[in-house]
Amino acid sequence: MKVSYFRFLFATIALLSFAGCDDNEGDSQVDTELNAQILEAFSLNVAQASYNDLKSKASELNDDIETLSASGGRTAVNLEACRASWKAARASWEQTESFLFGPVSTEDVDPRIDTWPVDFNVLEAQLDSNNDFTPEYIDELLEDQKGFHAIEYLIFGAEGTKAAENITDRELEFLTALGANLKNLTAQVADGWNPSIDGNYHELFVNAGNGSTSYETQQDAFAELVGAMAGICDEVANGKINEVYEAQDPTMEESPFSQNSITDFTYNMIGVRNVYLGKYSADGIGLEDLVRKHNLQLDGQIKAAIDAAISALDNITDPFGEAITSQPVQVQNAVEAINALGALLDDGDDLVNTDLAGFVVQHTK
Amino acid sequence: MRKEKIVIRFVILLGVIVSIYSCIEPEPLAESDFSEWLSGGSQTIFNSGAGAFSSAFPDLTDAREEVHEIGDGAFEQTFVSAPAPINPGLGPIFNNVSCTSCHINDGRGKPPVNGEQLSSLLIRLSISGTDAHGGPNPAPGFGGQLQQRGIFGVATEAYMKIEYTETEYSFSDGETYSLRNPTYTLENPYIALPGDLMISPRVAPPVFGLGLLQAIDEADIVALADVDDLNGDDISGKPNYAWNVVEGKKTLGRFGWKAANPSILQQTAGAYNEDMGITSFVFPNESSYDQSQYDGLGDEYEISDSLLHAVEFYIRTLAVPARRNADNTTVLHGKQLFADAKCAACHTPRMRTKVDVAFPEISNQIIFPYTDLLVHDMGVDLADNRPDFDASGQEWRTSPLWGIGLTRVVNGHQNFLHDGRARTLMEAIMWHGGEAEQSKEFVRTLSKNDRDALIKFLESL
Repeated sequence: MKVSYFRFLFATIALLSFAGCDDNEGDSQVDTELNAQILEAFSLNVAQASYNDLKSKASELNDDIETLSASGGRTAVNLEACRASWKAARASWEQTESFLFGPVSTEDVDPRIDTWPVDFNVLEAQLDSNNDFTPEYIDELLEDQKGFHAIEYLIFGAEGTKAAENITDRELEFLTALGANLKNLTAQVADGWNPSIDGNYHELFVNAGNGSTSYETQQDAFAELVGAMAGICDEVANGKINEVYEAQDPTMEESPFSQNSITDFTYNMIGVRNVYLGKYSADGIGLEDLVRKHNLQLDGQIKAAIDAAISALDNITDPFGEAITSQPVQVQNAVEAINALGALLDDGDDLVNTDLAGFVVQHTK
Repeated sequence: MRKEKIVIRFVILLGVIVSIYSCIEPEPLAESDFSEWLSGGSQTIFNSGAGAFSSAFPDLTDAREEVHEIGDGAFEQTFVSAPAPINPGLGPIFNNVSCTSCHINDGRGKPPVNGEQLSSLLIRLSISGTDAHGGPNPAPGFGGQLQQRGIFGVATEAYMKIEYTETEYSFSDGETYSLRNPTYTLENPYIALPGDLMISPRVAPPVFGLGLLQAIDEADIVALADVDDLNGDDISGKPNYAWNVVEGKKTLGRFGWKAANPSILQQTAGAYNEDMGITSFVFPNESSYDQSQYDGLGDEYEISDSLLHAVEFYIRTLAVPARRNADNTTVLHGKQLFADAKCAACHTPRMRTKVDVAFPEISNQIIFPYTDLLVHDMGVDLADNRPDFDASGQEWRTSPLWGIGLTRVVNGHQNFLHDGRARTLMEAIMWHGGEAEQSKEFVRTLSKNDRDALIKFLESL
């Protein structure tokens, strides 16, 4: 991602100019109390709320897998329940991808729950083996043999049409172990933000500019938020969608067995909105409130761009792996809409602060 | 001079004027100080968050940025065992499945915890003697690196076990600190280990800023060397000339913990080959060649020339994060102590890249990497006792310090040195020995306030 040289040069100089003064006239634009509230609200209403939801959705998936695996449980209804709860957990996880920093990244959880592709040769070999799928054994497995997509393969099947009666005992054993592993890892991330657990990320984040060892200034924490939002736009538009589209290669698609890719992308965009509004379920103060205080136009542009990105994804009606050839215009429109949103969040090289990244440089410190 | 630079100069000048007129105290930064904020010269980025090590050079043209993005994608690509529709070729033996699995967020790895095998630390192996090019002599049946992973059904070479012994020391003001000393054991080898096996553990280093380090003129690096310590400061500094696979001769080594790697291309291709089992035009043979794990398939390269070059370009064009708080009083005091302790004798603050008209982004830049790219004797406690070309078993390359203060936010830990044994910046300092003994001793006798200032300075880098 490009970062504007000029913008920061200006900002640095602006800061230098103000830093020299004892009075506060230069800081009149920066409301550090409001900014602290926004960071606190992000941690509480977005990060903790999202990760706690993910944790409970993964736990429900694990329960449904256990039901499927129980004696006499191999029914179409139980398999459908697993698929539904897999999709629900997936929806929750994809929303958290709009803030991929903190424990999910530093504890290396992301690759262990969401790596694509899966190593099918090894997966099949595991099923053919007599290996005991203990929790420790799963812990030691490489990241391309576990997590969402390995589970997806087992419950949907390579063609997405697996029948409950065709699921083998070994598949159920492996699935059960993978479900428990996913449950534990998502709980680990949720705990990582839990204010009542030692060494939690909440403390580091909300104390930005107030003793945090990771964020020396509030501005650093705001830049982290904006960078993460812009980062997922870049990832979805230029990675998840455009790489597959340009290669015209459906085998590169993530979530192919469940045909869930477009839904994944949409939840990524909803995740961006969550961060901006400071809302997952409970609503509170958010970045939105800082922007609205100073720049209603930017606020309107960001919200419209999020809506446009989501509706461009809605316009892709075929499964993504097919749409790259059957609906090229819609796919290209989605790439453009998401990139337009990304540019509004952080345009990389603009002399004028018309994007959110420039805005937070101006209104935080 | 490019127009953009004139604009920057103008803006700086304007800024200085504005600063002076906005109030009287304190003095504005002089231009020379100002540029110290820009650790990577014009290729500095202003990001002090989780993505601090992951930004492209700020002024790449769109076409060049596209190549960077392609390399970025490949850097994150997960390899799987063949045959597979995408990314086949992993193994048969390997350490990890993607570049980013070890270089998380393009940053620093750490040793495994609680006996886990998967980690961003690997073990180099050799036996006494040298290979045909004067480099480490590969261990028969194991090669030059331990692969503790294999694809399904393939024997892993051995498992690695790390045990730590804690020893307590104290600063001269009485405050104690503890250092953990690792012992490495290879367990369950698939065949007997050679009797004279030498091992060298290495964590994955950060990968940003390497394009600028590669662009420093060889003459400038060699000029800093003082192999026989002619100036009598007890600090020598030696260039490590290592085998350049592409050029077919020895050239100056710059990369890796012992500067035994001459280029980003070779480092990248070597990592693909040894760490993931991916062959390329630079290293066409599987790492398991000549071993029982080898599948005998002398097939085509598993990464294409162009993709390998894209990954090389990606790494070459990862920008350096700017400093924070460089004008803070405590930081400036720490900076003075850094010089007084002679840390800067090896951690050379300022370097200049050579003119390269074909690569304007890295051409003629003043950068602040805090390394001389030379190898130094670091004492017996840090020694791996495994020579690597001209670097002896006690010598290590001076690690760049730029960006080191962002390790926590990028990687969530503070594990430093070649095997991540240090758990804080202060522990890393106190592990220094050999040529750095006097510097360590200087720090040991500092007051608590001064020690804190020194750390504060390092964290501003």
